[in-house]
Amino acid sequence: VTETATLFNIQRFSTEDGPGIRTTLFFKGCPLACPWCQNPEGMDAGPQTVWQAVHCLACGDCERACPDGALCRRDGRTEIDRTLCLHCGTCAEACPSAALEVVGKSYGVEALLALAQRDRPFFEKSGGGITLSGGEPLLQHPFLREFLPRCREARLQVALDTSGCARPEVVTPLLDWIDLVLFDLKLMDPEDHQRLVGVPLPVVLRCLEAVVASGRPLWIRTPLIPGMTDHPENIRAVAAYLAGNVPTLARWDLLAYSNLCAGKYGMLGRPFALAGVPLLERAAVERLAAVAAQAGISGVRWSGPTRAET
Amino acid sequence: MSESSATSVAPSRLWGPAPSLSPRVRKLREEYFSFRDRPYFRNEVMPFGTGKPWDVVYTPHSWSVVPEVFPFMPAFEDSLAACARVVPFPDAQLRDPLALRRARFFAEVVERHLPVQILEGELIVGGQFNTALSLTLTKAEAARFREEERSFLAQVSELNDLGVGNCGAVPGHIIPGYAKALRVGLRGLVVEIEALPADGDHETTAFRNALVVCAQAARHLAGRYAVLAERLADSERDPQRWEELREIARICRKVPWEPAETLHEALQALWFIHMLVMAAESYPGPGLSPGRIDQYLYPYYRRDLDSGRLDRARAKELCQCWWLKPNYAYDYQGRVGNNQGITAGFGQLVTLGGIDAQGGDASNDLTWLLLEVIEEMNLLEPKPNIRLHAKTPPALLRRVADLIARAQGSPFLLNFDEHSIRGLEWQGLPKERLWDYAPVGCLENTLQGDDRSGTVDVNLNLAKAVELTLFDGQDLATGRQIGPRTGDPARFTDFAAFQAAFLRQLRHLVEWIIRVNNRADEIRARWQPTPFLSLLVDGCARRGKDVTAGGAEHNYLTVEGVAFATTVDSLAAVRKLVFEEKRLEMGALLEAIRANFEGHEKVRSLLANKAPKYGNDDDAADALAREVSRFWTREVFRHQAPATGKRYRAGYLSWNYWVAYAPKTAATPDGRPRGKFLSNGSCPVASQDRHGPTANALSVGKIGLESAPSGDSHTLSLSPSLLRDDEHLEKLAAFLRAYGEAGGTALQVNVIDPATLREAQANPFEYRNLLVRVTGYNAYFVTLGQEIQNEIIAREAHALT
Repeated sequence: VTETATLFNIQRFSTEDGPGIRTTLFFKGCPLACPWCQNPEGMDAGPQTVWQAVHCLACGDCERACPDGALCRRDGRTEIDRTLCLHCGTCAEACPSAALEVVGKSYGVEALLALAQRDRPFFEKSGGGITLSGGEPLLQHPFLREFLPRCREARLQVALDTSGCARPEVVTPLLDWIDLVLFDLKLMDPEDHQRLVGVPLPVVLRCLEAVVASGRPLWIRTPLIPGMTDHPENIRAVAAYLAGNVPTLARWDLLAYSNLCAGKYGMLGRPFALAGVPLLERAAVERLAAVAAQAGISGVRWSGPTRAET
Repeated sequence: MSESSATSVAPSRLWGPAPSLSPRVRKLREEYFSFRDRPYFRNEVMPFGTGKPWDVVYTPHSWSVVPEVFPFMPAFEDSLAACARVVPFPDAQLRDPLALRRARFFAEVVERHLPVQILEGELIVGGQFNTALSLTLTKAEAARFREEERSFLAQVSELNDLGVGNCGAVPGHIIPGYAKALRVGLRGLVVEIEALPADGDHETTAFRNALVVCAQAARHLAGRYAVLAERLADSERDPQRWEELREIARICRKVPWEPAETLHEALQALWFIHMLVMAAESYPGPGLSPGRIDQYLYPYYRRDLDSGRLDRARAKELCQCWWLKPNYAYDYQGRVGNNQGITAGFGQLVTLGGIDAQGGDASNDLTWLLLEVIEEMNLLEPKPNIRLHAKTPPALLRRVADLIARAQGSPFLLNFDEHSIRGLEWQGLPKERLWDYAPVGCLENTLQGDDRSGTVDVNLNLAKAVELTLFDGQDLATGRQIGPRTGDPARFTDFAAFQAAFLRQLRHLVEWIIRVNNRADEIRARWQPTPFLSLLVDGCARRGKDVTAGGAEHNYLTVEGVAFATTVDSLAAVRKLVFEEKRLEMGALLEAIRANFEGHEKVRSLLANKAPKYGNDDDAADALAREVSRFWTREVFRHQAPATGKRYRAGYLSWNYWVAYAPKTAATPDGRPRGKFLSNGSCPVASQDRHGPTANALSVGKIGLESAPSGDSHTLSLSPSLLRDDEHLEKLAAFLRAYGEAGGTALQVNVIDPATLREAQANPFEYRNLLVRVTGYNAYFVTLGQEIQNEIIAREAHALT
């Protein structure tokens, strides 16, 4: 039986997920529960029905089409009863606009491969390729075991963007097919890690060790989240770990917190824990970047939005 | 926006000059921009007439592709005639062949009446070139001309009123043989003409004489500048300026008559000739293009640098002095135009880079120097175009990427050699010459020096054919039957029947608009010989035929397709929703379109959201795009203008017609209500490209653009954060490299500005596909809360200041 994968987005001309021009495949489902998650639609593994007011004509076609009575118009909004909705997509099909959508589509290996390489001329000229992201792509490892050899046959450069929440025996065989790993290392304090991310730090570090052992070039990514990961001790601790344990490190990206995802939380009917938290100040981000650089790590970069300076 | 720790590129201030400009150039630049403060020097229209009561000094067919001016044409005609300065033109001369008359009249004006002035500090001289010259017709000829013109205008007005398009015999839009004129001098051209076998008839002899008269007129005008420079030098106290004026005088005594030998001489000769073509055509600039200046000016530049005559800084200052000159074409708008009319470009296109005769890279030091000139001057004219190709050196490509990132709002066009050349080859131009092509006007590809391709002569609204298909050949607004009866579409049982009807309507429109344009082509050929331009276009002297009459070696008229994507998306929506899915009845579609979607919002939404759209690398939509494109462009290529033998060819350029014809095109089945803008050039319908610039580019690349050899106008918008640092500029450079393989013939990259974002905030539905990207994440702008939107606007604005 050929595996299928569930993805919530295929983003072309992706310029932030590895070298060159890339197509990023966003796999759905993640074992982590980071409150700052930028892609909350990637958290749940299954498809999710969402409604967006800006596209809605209030025609009621969706409500009439739903076989499960899960939709209802109230106070100018279309409410989705998530206890009834089976995410079958009937309403999205019936919607004459793009107000209702099912986030999460299933792809077979060959179909996804065909989509993934449509930008091949751009990959070739830029040293780009595809990036497996999410969500946590390694959650769908049975699919990747079929998909990645096909990517290699198609001579696609593959980057894996992972949270590191996977066992070494899962990740190691896949690394044979992967050219570059983007690895999230968020917090070095085990308690903070368990409390904020929701999985034990040692799981992540064991995965990182497996990646290091593979010799694959590695980009570490650390989100700078106000009051959570943005304290200098955390950055110093990550730096110390990298200095001592990650000889394959090619680059360390500090990603300043972004609030662009707030709208998506609303769409998913999920609370955004960081709602209203202001962006970091540029100076603060620069200080953290300096802390990272002082720890003797080369290839430190920061990016992301900072508070507008008035 | 605070985006990265890497060095970011500081954008240049909109229309601001670089601080590095020399005081001289800065002064000249400021002087140009202060039209109201320089009553002593204005290049406004100067009409010159014969004084005959029937004299014609204005030719509507030159302007009939600018329908906005139709209502004013009688006033222009009368007021220019009334203001015309009468110059001596003996009655006896009215018996000469028209070309000779026109040459003598031109010579009289240029040698004795065109004002001659030199501005303080300028090194390249010559600024009064905007004329309205008499056609020098007899009374009987003038009556015939007026009758023909009246009948043509009535026909083109009808096309325009119905939203079918417009056409006319447009001057400019050519690259005269400047390179050769600099190399051999006008004298050399005269020598060539005199060496031609004198087997011609009286007309041919008269025509060749006319060319010689024009060449001598140019020499004479330069002489007048020499005299003035000497006079100014006599009273000049500043020794440096005295020196400069003496040098200007020396140069003006020499060029453009003699071959140029130094860069200064070449630039001066180039400007004199260029400005005199504008004077001779009575057309201030549009599309008259210098072509590959970094190639043909290079030998002069190299020689001067090697001999120590010039250093690089002085060479640059000379180029900058030249750079200002074409901007004076806008002076005719000085009183009415906003900020010197710089909201619209005239397209005196200079081309840089590209391949050489062996297929290698042709860029040189001068290419790089001119890029600095472009950046430091920051002017609208001359419009820069860079030819890119597979072997463009990485450093040059990267320099181009940097310029795009910095040039907020400055049109910076990119031409792609491989695709452009493929089109010209398809067209049948000589293969061994194609490496040396260059665009004119906006991006219309031609050969240099012997190719009259009439690149904007015909502008056809392709979407009108959709309207006619839906209503059995009737124009919806007027109810007039203007197309063939192709049947009630509600009776069509499959899409093939619908498509066949559409193609019949489209063929009808192509034939109709070409028929009308043939009139303009004939009128111009008969009544408006332009011997000075003919002197500069290879083929004319040899054949004894004016450039307007088909004398050039290569003669074409170009039909530019407007509203291409609107048309394709309309067909795609009908195919999918009416015939394949049967989700929408044809009757319901027609009713919704009749009502302009009012009360039919669901139908409109379905059409807009649930059908494939060109511009997304969607093979279904793109294959249809290719079919439509191949069909109408080949239809066009079957036609030839009877009066001149010029063959029609196609291109995709929409100038402002995608806006102008929006109210004249009924609602379309892509979900566009009447009045909403049509699509532009080869671009997808605005906001329908949902998969980013790579998918957009690939769709354009799939059209099969070689059958539209004039080239396609494609614009992409990028968020400034994508251009924020070194790493990303490298990605842009790589994108351009890949575009050369996979995209179209020409590209303009715009940077999304805060104004667009504010507009999106105010009209979320219109902009629902606008993506903003901030590191590692992208979002549909309109789905973000207002607070976050404001923050992004503030950040983007910050990046631009």
